[in-house]
Amino acid sequence: MNTIESVTQTLKSKFGDAVKATETPTGNRLVVDIDGAKVKDVSKEIMSLGARYMVSIGYDNISRDNTLGLIHTYAFDKEQFALMLRMSAPADNPVLDSITPDTPNAGWSEREYQDLLGFKFQGHPKPKKLVTADDWPDGIYPLRKDVPHNLVPPAAEDVAYQLDEAPPGTTTIPIGPFHSSLHEPNHWALYVDGETIKGCDYRGFMTHRGIEKLCQTQLSYNEIPFVAERICGICGSVHACCYAQAVEAATGLVIPKRAEFIRTIMLEIERLHSHLLWLGVAGHLIGFDTVFMQAWRVREQIMWFCEKLTGNRKTYGMIIIGGVRRDITPEIRSELETICKNLEKEITTIHKAVAGDTAIHKRTKGVGYISKEDTIKWSLVGPVARARGVDIDARKDHPYASYGEVKFDVPVVDSCDVWATVLVRILEMYEAIKIIRQCLQKMPEGPILLEVPEALPAFKHMVMMVEAPRGEATHYVITGEENRPERWRVRAPTYPNLQGVPSMLMDNQFADFPIILGSIDPCFSCTDRVAVVDVRTGRKSLVGKRELEELSRKYKK
Amino acid sequence: MWLTSKIKQVLLVLKPGVVTLKYPFVPRPVPDTFRGAPYWDHTKCVGCGGCANHCPARTIMVRDICQEIRVMMYDGSRCTYCGRCADVCPENAITMTNKYELATDDKYDITETMELFMLTCQRCGRCYEMETKNAIDRMDLRGYRYDNIEARTVIRKTTDQFEPKVFQETAQFKRPEKL
Amino acid sequence: MDIVYSFINVLVFILCAPLYDGIMRKITARVQSRQGPPVVQPYYDILKLLGKNTVNSADNWSFKLAPVAAFASIIAVVFLVPFAFKQNFASRYADIITVVYLLTLGGVSVLLGALSSKNTFAMIGASREMVTMIMVEPVLAMTLILGAVKFKSLALQSTMYSVTSFGYSASIIAMMVVYLLALQAFVGKQPFDISEAEIEILEGPFIEYSGPNLALFKFYMMMKQMFYAFLFIAVFIPFAETGYYIVDIVIQLAEMLGVFILIALIGSTNPRLRIDQAVKYYAVLIFISICAVGLSVKGF
Repeated sequence: MNTIESVTQTLKSKFGDAVKATETPTGNRLVVDIDGAKVKDVSKEIMSLGARYMVSIGYDNISRDNTLGLIHTYAFDKEQFALMLRMSAPADNPVLDSITPDTPNAGWSEREYQDLLGFKFQGHPKPKKLVTADDWPDGIYPLRKDVPHNLVPPAAEDVAYQLDEAPPGTTTIPIGPFHSSLHEPNHWALYVDGETIKGCDYRGFMTHRGIEKLCQTQLSYNEIPFVAERICGICGSVHACCYAQAVEAATGLVIPKRAEFIRTIMLEIERLHSHLLWLGVAGHLIGFDTVFMQAWRVREQIMWFCEKLTGNRKTYGMIIIGGVRRDITPEIRSELETICKNLEKEITTIHKAVAGDTAIHKRTKGVGYISKEDTIKWSLVGPVARARGVDIDARKDHPYASYGEVKFDVPVVDSCDVWATVLVRILEMYEAIKIIRQCLQKMPEGPILLEVPEALPAFKHMVMMVEAPRGEATHYVITGEENRPERWRVRAPTYPNLQGVPSMLMDNQFADFPIILGSIDPCFSCTDRVAVVDVRTGRKSLVGKRELEELSRKYKK
Repeated sequence: MWLTSKIKQVLLVLKPGVVTLKYPFVPRPVPDTFRGAPYWDHTKCVGCGGCANHCPARTIMVRDICQEIRVMMYDGSRCTYCGRCADVCPENAITMTNKYELATDDKYDITETMELFMLTCQRCGRCYEMETKNAIDRMDLRGYRYDNIEARTVIRKTTDQFEPKVFQETAQFKRPEKL
Repeated sequence: MDIVYSFINVLVFILCAPLYDGIMRKITARVQSRQGPPVVQPYYDILKLLGKNTVNSADNWSFKLAPVAAFASIIAVVFLVPFAFKQNFASRYADIITVVYLLTLGGVSVLLGALSSKNTFAMIGASREMVTMIMVEPVLAMTLILGAVKFKSLALQSTMYSVTSFGYSASIIAMMVVYLLALQAFVGKQPFDISEAEIEILEGPFIEYSGPNLALFKFYMMMKQMFYAFLFIAVFIPFAETGYYIVDIVIQLAEMLGVFILIALIGSTNPRLRIDQAVKYYAVLIFISICAVGLSVKGF
């Protein structure tokens, strides 16, 4: 059993001077400052202690000590704490060792900071461009502070992403950037032999909206929750809540109890409708549109309830730093209870229908297999991991809001295929209803919003995990001076899960591609949030865009 | 097995019946708490600019065109209807209406402009000054930047025809500074 | 003068095929708790497509020829079938081989169009379509051969309506079950809309088609559906022959409606199968249908 102390001790004794300092900002967070040269060994040691890699955060520290900072974060799920491994590299030669060979999930994070901050990672197995556009000029690193947030560099016409070489004997099927099984723009090149998938390459990040940069340079603390909600159309409250909790934890704000309960209810409502939405989409992806329509019909009553409670079907705008904006009145409460009752009945019906349908089993059982070991190795999260027998859930492992005060189970299935993810999600809906009921009962009276002080302390680091319907969302906040975060890093659950998809696809049928990709409930806009301004994918779309702009200008006048 | 499950499914889906709304033909009422298009009550507004300060989408612009007249402009084309302005308004001059059918081909249909008569200070007479050095900048939140509607023009320019010169211009683009 | 009946056939099929499609859409919508489009929507779709420009995405003649050939072949089939128990001019000169041949020609035209469009998804769609054709065509052939074995003749009228003269036998019942199980594959609906699977291969063979060409393909598909529905009622439930031509037409159309309701219900309560799963399924069907023909040879 690791504790914060034991981990500190182990690291200090093993690496001596390389561990420069340690710090515990709150009871369940450990910050370890290390010498950048030793990162590979330290990371390996932490992983061998049973940690789960979460995400890396790069930040620009040039104005203060002429370095670029990098933080790897790890979660100790059973021991309920998180570790932030902090290091820096000189800005003129930011070279660090890559930890990707040992923790494959760090691959994207490292590639991201290669693009955005100009880091160089030695020994990275695939140091390709990840985030910035193909025609983004070399030497401009958008997350550095000297690059303005509204910079638009010239478009180049003769660049294209070089896909990986196809394995011999295969043909390439391009899926995307726009394809009906994707719902959002991103590109997959599938290498198939007949109808069997033998490999794939992914080029995503086509919908960068520059959210992180925008919020770090333009918005103030309490405006960011509204942008955070718009990272994702489905799990909006998750991102807003995660961000707000990170800032609150970093600056030591304690929000009213009632607000915590309302946040929990919002998160569970979101889980309910997200899982119903996913169930529908999964039905659609295997060509079963009736499941799609019926699941969404059931979902609709939640949406209408949300409209009544928050004023909108989605993008609730409920959560801001210091609490929530709207209270749950007695009428709303009794309506929520009725809806819970209806939903439970409807979900049971759907559950029975889906579980008894052999045709659905045919399409989902044994499809998208990935072993438990690989799941842990790739640090997959959420229902995807729980469907592979890995019992992780941020609600239980890192309790936040009022999850510590309610009782619920974490359904874990271990058949390791798409069917297991269907089952896990359906079972989670019952738990969500259970949690909402308990919250309504236990919710204390009192204020729902805390007056946030004028100035929040600067340069506090905090990582916060929230269990989104899709998995664990991780936000990292470094508080700043100008009433806005110095750095805000969002890692949506799709970010790690998408990296595990190639292993799930391997040796499956091409016809199963939509449902395998769908089984992680991918949200590409969540994944794509960072970076700057816009992305041009190729010459053709550029011409189209210019024409569009001309047209729109013509009509504007 | 297969057949019975199918028959069961058909029977199941008969129960709820048709749930589609005849929406454009039959209007759908929204709850009272709905966050629709914001409405400004010009008789209540004191022109404090709190809404402009807190608007995450920066849709509200405040300009003093002379000593006595303050213009407040709301650009609905980029409003996200979060209702933050209504929350922070000290005079409750802003209410979120239940209007949601706001699609238009002329963005001025959803742009609102208010001209407020601001009283000159009896003591010094200089509380309200022109443009960037006005009172709103003094009372606003720390870190607030209020220029984004204007900055759009610069972004447009660079997107269209890029040259190193314009790049420089963008990089050095100076926003109206705070006091 | 019985060539008139042929033209009436074509007229009835052309007029009714989109209607049945509309009814199927409506039933699907009801199963999905939706309002659904009006039943005449397919007519609007066809008319709208006919009014659009053609985009010739592949620069070869086979691409343009394929929709016309497909449509022509299905019209030819309809032209010669003895609809409403009426032998017509063409069905006297045609036999079941002609019907199977012409139906296959339609399928081949779809393949031709898909292959000449040189689109990756069309290619996958074409290969799936080809597999489906190879696997379900025998079932169709066996269905017709069954009557031919009983009658010892290949003539259309007698083989199609063999049940009217011989009644039900074990082989006919077996074949009826097989036909019902293969029905979704014949008409290309779930769970066997594999070659068009819009989720993964985006309508497969038709992906590059637009405007009037697509309209022809769509019409071809609707007519094909209607033909298979007709074939079912003609071969397996050819009752209520009143002798009055108009009444017979109405009765057969009503019976077809029942078949379409069945298709829509099965289609809307099943996910799409994968091609490898479907092939196994078809193989069983072919086996049973061959057994049924064997039984009928033995006189059962």
